Amino acid sequence: MLVTGGTGTLGRELVARLDRDRRATVVVLTRHPAAAAAGLPPDVRTLAGDVRVGGALGLSPVTRHELASQVTDILHCAAETTFHRPLAEARAANVDGTRAVLDFARDCAHLERLACFSTVYVAGRTTGCFTEEDIGGADGFVNSYEQSKAEMETVVRDAMATLPIALYRLSTIIGQSSTGAVTGFNAVHHALRLLYQGLAPMVPGSESALVDLIPVDFAADAAHHLFGHDFTPGGTFHLCSGLPSSATLGALLDATMAAFERHRPAWRKRSIVRPALVKLETYELFVRSVEEAGNEVLLQATRAVQAFAYQLAYPKVFDGRNANAALGAAGIQAPPVLDYYDRVVRWCIETNWGAPT
Amino acid sequence: MTGAIDVGIDALTYWVPEHAPTLAELEQAGALRGPASTLASFGFERARVARSESHVDMAAHAVRALLEETGTAPDEIDLVLYAGALTSSTTMECAPAPNGAVLHMRDLMDFFKYPASRLQSEFDLTSATVAGVDQQGCAAIFSAIRLARATLCAEPDVRTVLCVSADRLPHGSSREVVYNLVSDGACAMLVRRGAARNRIVATHQVTKGAFWDSGSLENEIIAAYFPTARTVIEDTLRKAGVTLDDIAWVIPHNVSLRSWEILLGLIGCPREKLFTRNIGRIGHTIAADNFINLRDATDAGLLRKGDLLLLFTFGYGLNWSCMVLEH
Repeated sequence: MLVTGGTGTLGRELVARLDRDRRATVVVLTRHPAAAAAGLPPDVRTLAGDVRVGGALGLSPVTRHELASQVTDILHCAAETTFHRPLAEARAANVDGTRAVLDFARDCAHLERLACFSTVYVAGRTTGCFTEEDIGGADGFVNSYEQSKAEMETVVRDAMATLPIALYRLSTIIGQSSTGAVTGFNAVHHALRLLYQGLAPMVPGSESALVDLIPVDFAADAAHHLFGHDFTPGGTFHLCSGLPSSATLGALLDATMAAFERHRPAWRKRSIVRPALVKLETYELFVRSVEEAGNEVLLQATRAVQAFAYQLAYPKVFDGRNANAALGAAGIQAPPVLDYYDRVVRWCIETNWGAPT
Repeated sequence: MTGAIDVGIDALTYWVPEHAPTLAELEQAGALRGPASTLASFGFERARVARSESHVDMAAHAVRALLEETGTAPDEIDLVLYAGALTSSTTMECAPAPNGAVLHMRDLMDFFKYPASRLQSEFDLTSATVAGVDQQGCAAIFSAIRLARATLCAEPDVRTVLCVSADRLPHGSSREVVYNLVSDGACAMLVRRGAARNRIVATHQVTKGAFWDSGSLENEIIAAYFPTARTVIEDTLRKAGVTLDDIAWVIPHNVSLRSWEILLGLIGCPREKLFTRNIGRIGHTIAADNFINLRDATDAGLLRKGDLLLLFTFGYGLNWSCMVLEH
């Protein structure tokens, strides 16, 4: 069983579950095997490699041949998830990297299952309901991550004719639901930090816009079940909160400010106010003004939040009925985000967003 | 309780220096922190810069014009509220000061020389008591008006309050403050019960002392400005019992046109309601802006009797102040 991206936020959780299954030897392809091994279960093997270098995966011909002859399952989690990378860089990792994995998969004589992980945000600037059957991008994309993942999906769908592939579209992962622990910071956490620092005056979007966030344990449980116990080749599944478990942007901002006050009472003295929710054109005018003014601090702050925040201006609901049907029987469902959100914010505060205090 | 008695701004005048250097001239003189082009794109054209006039001279010009224009006898004034945004505005001396100092006191007793008392003396306002209103940045005159209204409601023997505001930057200082072009200027107004126009419908102010250290919190202040401004405006409208649709004109403080465009976007107000004429040609006269604009909008015939006007300003400290007037 080969896992790419096995040291990432989701990959690490998945590997732990796969290892507990004891169904097969788990091999993690990683660019930094020594460092990766330290954080993985002892029985998990690591191989030095890189999906970005092509179908060879950065392996020696012998190693690649041995691996291909034994692999039955592939979970392709490796991705460039930074929202604002140049498109070429995002494509190199997410499109070309996936092509490399598919090339390798075609050489796996005993391949039974291949999971490719994407994002529900391939929906791009689409508004309204976005289903598992929908193909995003008709209205353009908010950032290079979304676009590269949509392009990746095209590659994957083409390969579905000849390979047993399931496509899992993830919502935004924000942390462990039980502890709030964050193992991979993303744009949401950066936005949280800017709110905490009082450097986010406004956010595009409306009070009632739904924000779809999921905890990593749900994402891992869901992917583990769908892949290991209910694999559907050719299927696309949304691992998301959807309508029942999402929160409105207004409620999330309120919960954020309340969490700041609750977990850092002294923060209240700083009189930092909840950002205003504004139309996209107003937000863009503010961003343009910051750019023209050349204010480096605010420039960095707006850029950090920009790639994520723009998505908020395109309200949508993710429909995950394929996934829900399969997961419901197993009792797996995304918890309401407001049930665990406070723990995530507390974890961010108490760890100073993962930095030593 | 104060709402039971109608109080309004019966008359107002202003004075700004004639010297009006362009952005290019200011840039050449080293009086801008950043490029002139940025300020130009934000809507500024020129600043008004006092030469020999002190802030007290400017206040006196405005008061003299007010009394002459309205034919107000000195003994009609019962209270003078002197508002100053800058620390240097609340003392007699601000220039010339060696080494660019804001305050230049040659003697300990200089600390006890007050502009309000000098105005009282100069204009023979012998019936008037005086008080200073300061430490609120550009919102100082709003507070003076609020206090004038409260006094007029609470003290029947007070009939007319003269509110004055005057500020000038120290010689040689930068004219650019947080992407705004700062001018020197003064305004004066008569606040009375039963005023013929500019009835004060509602006032509202929010102070956030956490931002008192303005210099080191510039970015946080910029970030706090917009959402708080929206809240303050919305709360003021609520107090007045009106909505933005009821407002005929927004009479601004002359911070950048760009920041007003953003704020209008936040509150959902059409740009056509904003009186923008003076932002470019006068700049941000610290505390006097809204009333310079109110006077000019009146003189231009833009305001009709009964029009509801929204005045909003922001001052260091930090203070967000807003009022609704019925013209």
